[in-house]
Amino acid sequence: MIKIKGLYTTLGDFVLDEINLQVDPGEFFILLGPTGSGKSVVLESIAGLVPIKRGGIYLNGKNIISQKPEKRNISICYQDYNLFPHMTVSKNIWYGVNFKKDKKSIKYKNNFDRLVELLKISHLLNRRPESLSGGEKQRVSLARALIVEPEILLLDEPLSALDPNTKEKIQWEIKKMHEELKMTTIMVTHSFQEAYCLGDRMAIMNEGKILQSGAVNEIFQYPKSEFVANFVGMKTLIELNKDEALLFGANQPIRMGIRPENILLSTNSLDTDYEFKGEILDIIDFGMHKDIKILSKGKVYTAFLTINRLLEMKITLGDTVTFGFNREHVNLINY
Amino acid sequence: MFGKKTEILYMFSLISGMLILIFILGPLINTFNWIQKDLMIEALHDEKIIKSILLSMKCATYSMLLAFVLGVSFAYYIERHEFHGKRFLESIIDIPMVMPHTVVGIALLTVLSRRSTLGKFMVAHNIDILGTEIAIVIAMLFVSLPLMFNSAKEAFKWIPVRMENVSRSLGASHFKTFFTITFRLAWRDLLSGMIITWARSISEFGAVIILAYHPMIAPTLIYERFSTYGIVYAIPVTAILMMIAMVLFIALRLVASNNRKRVKL
Repeated sequence: MIKIKGLYTTLGDFVLDEINLQVDPGEFFILLGPTGSGKSVVLESIAGLVPIKRGGIYLNGKNIISQKPEKRNISICYQDYNLFPHMTVSKNIWYGVNFKKDKKSIKYKNNFDRLVELLKISHLLNRRPESLSGGEKQRVSLARALIVEPEILLLDEPLSALDPNTKEKIQWEIKKMHEELKMTTIMVTHSFQEAYCLGDRMAIMNEGKILQSGAVNEIFQYPKSEFVANFVGMKTLIELNKDEALLFGANQPIRMGIRPENILLSTNSLDTDYEFKGEILDIIDFGMHKDIKILSKGKVYTAFLTINRLLEMKITLGDTVTFGFNREHVNLINY
Repeated sequence: MFGKKTEILYMFSLISGMLILIFILGPLINTFNWIQKDLMIEALHDEKIIKSILLSMKCATYSMLLAFVLGVSFAYYIERHEFHGKRFLESIIDIPMVMPHTVVGIALLTVLSRRSTLGKFMVAHNIDILGTEIAIVIAMLFVSLPLMFNSAKEAFKWIPVRMENVSRSLGASHFKTFFTITFRLAWRDLLSGMIITWARSISEFGAVIILAYHPMIAPTLIYERFSTYGIVYAIPVTAILMMIAMVLFIALRLVASNNRKRVKL
């Protein structure tokens, strides 16, 4: 288990402010936030790669803040792989074992065989990193990080440099690998899709602060601030006056948010807790799906439709539709 | 039309290139035309000439090794840290490259002469640097150190800090990381830096002559032969030094080449 208490540091003008986190054994924890929010600084602080000014990092109850990176047994993988170009794939994977006291132990050979099989890289072992594709490089980088049996695996945007197809594959492989190895993992990403797919729990960061942390589903459904709501893709965020708020059980002006996939759309009536009629204001094309903007009583709601569903419904701009959502999907954010 | 313009531009480039080659190779090749066979044979047996050339090579090697140790270690620090005044500090290290060589000699003399604080201290302890091989090395080091420093800085620049971070997170100490990853990837560029540093050291004359006319290094001997006996007597020493320097330079350049062809990051 890793626990971060009141972590504070500065890097130039950037301030990492009072970070508090706890990641349980075997958990897949996500640090989600925009570029420059300080996610990578948190990760490198855990690895001992940036100087800390205040606070503590406790690994299994022991404060490791004064330990050198090489003594922490925490592996890190970056988005740009950082394979050692002068070594073969095999030597890259074995690299960390050379610094272990029990380097002759059979367990490393077993780890090597298991990881090579799990990550499907047996055919690459004698090749140099420069001849590998991005996905292959990231697999090798993961094997190299895991062979030494780290207490914690840190992943710094491991998918962001990959093309969409490879990204999907590697994302699935990371998930499978985590399920099999149950390795405590902290991953940094700015993609809420990756967070949703891989994370057990997560924290949202902005400007060096943690804005919210909790179960992934909980944060996606119930973000506590406008920033978090926007960041996790809660596209409907409307302001309600006191009278409008009463409908949703609040007795003061409030903001209401609903995820686009939770707004149901129909040309007929719906069996939802709340039901409204509105006019199609805009249809925004995202390739395989569309965002449907609906204007109702001066408020704009955003629903999500697949291409097939849109073709089925035959709706176009200016049409009047019925839309609705259930009570449990309503997220109220105080001003 | 665009193509034509490009061609004219390339033609201008080629003409410039030819002029550069003629400008460099012309005097070098012509030096050999001036060689008189009997004087050359005599020079090859002249102990003074051989000694001066060997001394030049020895002092240049010491200067290069010192520049390597100091320059590489400081360049690594500079390349891995950001701090206020960093650019200013780098500019200071570059100063010897823009100073006239005699100015360097005078500046060093103000520190090493018997009238300086350091000089008085050395006199008191019976240490005399002026007119020794140490003075020659100091003069050579002063003018060549920036070249080693800048080469090392460039070498470390293209090795990502994150690669070192990964190595450390895998259990390698900072020293082990430096020697197994950073140095291993940078060594060809560092070798190039050493060659340039050595070449710059062996070619130094202005600063050396002020600090140590004797023992005589090859450039000083060339100057002495030229000013005393004329160009014909200076040519054999010049040609021998030129050949040795060129052979060494080309050989080491070949070893140091193709670095990034072999290791792509």
